[in-house]
Amino acid sequence: MIETPEQLSEEYRQELIRTLTMTVDTELLGAALHYHNLYTDNVPAEHVAGLLALSQDELGHAAIACRLLEDLGVDTDAMIYTRPPERFKHPYAMDIICESFTESALTAFLYDRAGYKLLGDVYRTTSYAPWKRALAKIDREERFHIRFGERAVRILCETEEGKAEVQRTLDWMFPITMEFFGLPDHLKTHDRQIEYRIKSKTNDQLRQEWLAEAVPGLEKLGLKVPAHYDEALGEYVLDFPFPCKFYPEEKRWDFSQPTTWDEVLSRWKGKGPGNRRLVETIQSGRLQLQAMAGGEP
Amino acid sequence: MNEQVVWRMLAEVQDPELPVSLVDMGLIYGVRVKGSVVEVDLTFTSTGCPCTAWIKEDICRHLKQHPAISDVRLHTVWDPPWTVARLTDKARKALVEMGVAVD
Repeated sequence: MIETPEQLSEEYRQELIRTLTMTVDTELLGAALHYHNLYTDNVPAEHVAGLLALSQDELGHAAIACRLLEDLGVDTDAMIYTRPPERFKHPYAMDIICESFTESALTAFLYDRAGYKLLGDVYRTTSYAPWKRALAKIDREERFHIRFGERAVRILCETEEGKAEVQRTLDWMFPITMEFFGLPDHLKTHDRQIEYRIKSKTNDQLRQEWLAEAVPGLEKLGLKVPAHYDEALGEYVLDFPFPCKFYPEEKRWDFSQPTTWDEVLSRWKGKGPGNRRLVETIQSGRLQLQAMAGGEP
Repeated sequence: MNEQVVWRMLAEVQDPELPVSLVDMGLIYGVRVKGSVVEVDLTFTSTGCPCTAWIKEDICRHLKQHPAISDVRLHTVWDPPWTVARLTDKARKALVEMGVAVD
């Protein structure tokens, strides 16, 4: 185990900065995703406090990762408040603002579970001891988010109308969650983070672990899931072309239009429709305070 | 059906946010058994706890799995208020391990 920043090689340090930055960005956007929902009538009163607690956890996780980045020499204040929105690094799905409680509930069920799988792997195997210790709390809290999502989705599915909306929402959110795990292994020939033992499992392995949990959980609620377990292959198989054409403004996939990973990479690079608004949500408090103080930071 | 069975079952219900049972969290103030009806006095760590409905549901669902329990009645108690002094040693250890201050 590596204990201090001084022990790191420059390459390892850069790789660690990259993964911690992605964690900060994903956690910050994870809080912002629900923010606009929370100040509408979308969220039933009995779920407001839970969703707030969840958002607060996400900000806490970002603060923890920032603390580690500071030890690595990163100016996290500049990183959060002066970086342009398009330079934030997070999964594409995090740039699509939640516009209903169903979307917030499925975000917790699907995306937080993806985050839990990705960070859980790091927690169990990382060679950077400070990150491992910090992840103990994050790991537990992500479990709470998943349980929040499971409970909320179960409650929504108790009415026919609610269940139909969960199904419609799942139809676009399920495939986008698959993109969380990145390129398929056959296109990603080497992974520095695995070489440096910052993490241990490949994209496809983590995607499979997610499917093994999420698919039965969703099916138990009577929802149609576009993936199934293939006995012969011994793994989960997606029932839609992956990658595929996505229309973000309509939150819709065209499953008759398979696409290439190059096209997907360029969509990811161009960021999702909520990118600017979400990053501005994160930055706005500081900017307003600065304006009130007469421009002094 | 007796009180010990109920306490044992409550020790199987986990806090939604923390890896600790409701009993180890010190949230359960008392248990009474009246025939097939179980009464539980419980509190929460704060009046603003986001999980009060969730915890109550989990208790009812779990206790009703017992064939001798027909109904569960929950009474929320705010006095005396919950403090960290109510945590068992087991809970204290689990919370310290995940980086939560308990003093």
